[in-house]
Amino acid sequence: MNDLIPMLGGSLGNPFELIDMPIDDWVTWFVDWLVDTFRDFFRTWVSPPVKTVMEGVQWLLTSTPPLAVLAGLFVLAWRAASWKVGVFAVVAFAFIGFMGVWDELMTTLSLVITSVLFCLVIGVPIGILCSRRDMTYTLVRPILDIMQTTPPFVYLVPAVMLFSIGNVPGLIATIIFAMPPTIRLTNLGIRQVPGQYTEAATAFGSTPRQILWKVQVPLAMPTIMAGLNQTIMLALSMVVIAAIIGAGGLGLLVFQGLNRLDIGQAFVGGLGIVLLAMVLDRITQGLGEKAPGSRASSDD
Amino acid sequence: MIRAEGVTKVFGPNPESVKPLLEQGKSKDEIQAETGHVVGVNNASFEVGAGEVFCIMGLSGSGKSTLIRCINRLIEPTFGKIILDDPEHGELDIATMDGPTLRRVRSQHLSMVFQHFALFPHKTVLSNVVYGLEVQGRDKAEREELGKKYLEMVGLGGWENHYPDELSGGMQQRVGLARAVATEANILLMDEPFSALDPLIKVQMQDELMRIQQELGRTILFITHDLDEAMRIGDHIAIMDAGKIVQVGNPEEILVNPKTEYVAKFVEHADPTGVITAETVALPFTDRYFNQIREEGGNQVWTRTGYTDVEFHVDTNGHLAAMRCEGNDVALHELEEKVTETGGAPERHTDAAVHCTTDTILKRVLRGRAYSELPVVVQDTEGRLKGVIDEPELIHGILEKQGYAQDD
Repeated sequence: MNDLIPMLGGSLGNPFELIDMPIDDWVTWFVDWLVDTFRDFFRTWVSPPVKTVMEGVQWLLTSTPPLAVLAGLFVLAWRAASWKVGVFAVVAFAFIGFMGVWDELMTTLSLVITSVLFCLVIGVPIGILCSRRDMTYTLVRPILDIMQTTPPFVYLVPAVMLFSIGNVPGLIATIIFAMPPTIRLTNLGIRQVPGQYTEAATAFGSTPRQILWKVQVPLAMPTIMAGLNQTIMLALSMVVIAAIIGAGGLGLLVFQGLNRLDIGQAFVGGLGIVLLAMVLDRITQGLGEKAPGSRASSDD
Repeated sequence: MIRAEGVTKVFGPNPESVKPLLEQGKSKDEIQAETGHVVGVNNASFEVGAGEVFCIMGLSGSGKSTLIRCINRLIEPTFGKIILDDPEHGELDIATMDGPTLRRVRSQHLSMVFQHFALFPHKTVLSNVVYGLEVQGRDKAEREELGKKYLEMVGLGGWENHYPDELSGGMQQRVGLARAVATEANILLMDEPFSALDPLIKVQMQDELMRIQQELGRTILFITHDLDEAMRIGDHIAIMDAGKIVQVGNPEEILVNPKTEYVAKFVEHADPTGVITAETVALPFTDRYFNQIREEGGNQVWTRTGYTDVEFHVDTNGHLAAMRCEGNDVALHELEEKVTETGGAPERHTDAAVHCTTDTILKRVLRGRAYSELPVVVQDTEGRLKGVIDEPELIHGILEKQGYAQDD
């Protein structure tokens, strides 16, 4: 009787010794299976479009003389936001240029533009679908939670195994990480369109498609733009992490700087990322405020 | 033009299940207590003729907004038929038609004006007005031409490129009205369109609507909680209480002859002078109220019982040949001619009287009283003497909303 107690006590006090769930083995097995089965599929069908867009954007930005890029930037920021933002954007970019990292800036910018482009192309339609049916959003929501909360380092390894190193796995990881706000806020924006507008559109005989494109999406635009803004910020925050698996640009400067304990170089890269983030943030905020749908908020 | 037959809307998990209760004639409250279902509209039937303004009147919660939304199926009716007389396709039941047909009907035959305007805030005034035309698939040039024409009609020419939030409430609802008439739909559903406007603008908009209606002659279903508004613009009025239509009639019928307590309470404070007609208040020309005192020159001479100083000389056709007061001849004038006369303080004649037709409203008869102290003579369209209106009739008419004759 006396010697039973320590034995029972051992397993009763710590039930985790009784059952062993080898999740790590299962995941390893699953990823191996995924890589074996789909590597060709991903390399033939997913990789090329991402790569092509990225190279196209990068070619455009690097083959354009820096002065022309600055001029274009000014016009864009001025039209989207205000001339003040335009001046700020030009000063910030010029500052980065004078630090001697213009090419890295252009690479990072093309990484951000490419990933944000894919986030929009994939995320906005998913967001619209989610807004149409509660069921869809119920299914999509946990996936978005996983995409946003899983530490990116966890899926960097499978990304490399599927796409090999370089810009592409970095872009894929960025797209996965940055897409959720676009989906969430597109969904939210459309759901928040006051019922009286959709009712009026319905009363005039609009089809659901006409209601969506003529009324709901334009009125949701300020919210969708807020999602775009968040997506851009998240994409920039991935730039350094993506550098670990071979993406270039300002992130690579930071990563290399840290590896070599070259604090100066890391700082230059970091400062560049911060300035780029500020410029993109101001421009997209301006877009949201100028969207025609933003008049809805001033309505009673 | 459009006809509702037993339209019923029940809100709740199983609307069909309350049908037996409705057929037993249980009230909205009873059904709610028994089953938890809310009866929004209970067996509403009415018919709106072409070119007519039909008002549905009720307090909030009476189901009037639900009913109008059942007509174009913004809310699906639980039971009942909504028959639309489509000139091309004959009679159609809106309640059962499929999606594409419903959209065609909404876009071509029914348009709507909303209480809170519901103008699209991201579109300019002009693109708001042409929205219905855009849905109809008209080309851009045609759209804009029509849009401008109707903006002009509501008095907003030149505001095309402004946004709704730059306009006052009254102007916004003008845009709402232009948007609704621009589709050239023959039926206009108006859901308390002027309730959100301040009183002066409201009256202005009612006048505007009546002016536009004279020009366009659409069929209008107009929801309101304001009886005076319904009386002003409605050719017919339906009064709703707890989801049911309790009375349908023209304004005078409702005012003079309320069928239920509820309607009576409603009309109690209404201004009758714009609604009640001379025929209703007049003391009828019958031997019950008049005495024949003699014959003179082929005419019968009558006096009103108790008022022997005024004589009415009636010829064999029933026309008033002459009128005499204390032995003197009285000049008879058209009411219209005298009430439109202007200038100076009115001098009340004792040697002249006015005559009017049976359908003249009380307000005009009152104006006639300012001209003459003698009774107003009421004649039918053939010119036959139908009755007279003196002070007692006017006072009784205004206070009791009926004539003495109806008291008996």
